[in-house]
Amino acid sequence: MLNRFLFLFFISFSLFAEPYYEFNNNEDEKRFFSLIKEIRCPKCTSGSLASSNAPVSEDLKKVIAEMIEDGQSDEDIKNFISDRFGKETLYDTPREPNTYALWYSPFVFLLICLVFFFFRKKS
Amino acid sequence: MKLLLKTSILVIPFIIFSFFYLYLSKDNSYPGADYKNFNLPSFELENLYDESLISNNALKGTYLINIWASWCITCRIEHGFLTQLNDSNIRIVGLNYKDDRDDAIEWLVKYGNPYETVLHDYKGSLALDMGVTGAPETFLVRDQMVVAHYRGEINKMIWGDVFMPLIKGEGLADAK
Repeated sequence: MLNRFLFLFFISFSLFAEPYYEFNNNEDEKRFFSLIKEIRCPKCTSGSLASSNAPVSEDLKKVIAEMIEDGQSDEDIKNFISDRFGKETLYDTPREPNTYALWYSPFVFLLICLVFFFFRKKS
Repeated sequence: MKLLLKTSILVIPFIIFSFFYLYLSKDNSYPGADYKNFNLPSFELENLYDESLISNNALKGTYLINIWASWCITCRIEHGFLTQLNDSNIRIVGLNYKDDRDDAIEWLVKYGNPYETVLHDYKGSLALDMGVTGAPETFLVRDQMVVAHYRGEINKMIWGDVFMPLIKGEGLADAK
């Protein structure tokens, strides 16, 4: 009798769970989970779509899952979202003329430091 | 070398100071405002009241689109100002966002309806295409083109600083 009760106790609700987003194959599913980590939730100060359950993030995750099912590329999906919610939704900042300073200024500074270091006059 | 050191002690703080002075004294105190122009996405949504379909081509001229919902507390705060705008003949199209139809109608009966038309976007599909992150948000649309987007509650100050410069001299007030 006790054993039966114990058995009930250990039945997990997750046995009856169904996947929330369905994919054709594991590859698609992996793409989905990596994409939602690379895209910022538009409603949050800083958090990925994966970390957010704001209504707009839920909608975007649904859209991403659908676009993956449609066979669209990561590039298409990121463009779709950044067209609507701005470039700041992309964690991986694109290398464009207006972000060159952001991407390359550290190397320029390093170069300047090296020049100073090697050409200094020793007293 | 010593001269270089001396000048850099003067020059570097000067550069840093002017950088912060330029960026911090800039008067763009509205992070919610976005002036990116884009075409009003095509849509076909139900009228909140009679469930008839309204498409993007049915909306003409210059008007505001206001995203609202009965569950949205800030919309209740914003509502008074929208009523004032409507009283001064500013056209406002309501986009009811992820809301129950009956709740939305009840809300408008209770507090008054400042909207010329109310679209029922239950799934938030048009809102998603317009880059809406929540409610309330307000768009200024001119001839099928979105010219301003404000995320958050609009009030007298934001109206004056963000929207008025764009519609000045256009006679939006007479458009109705």
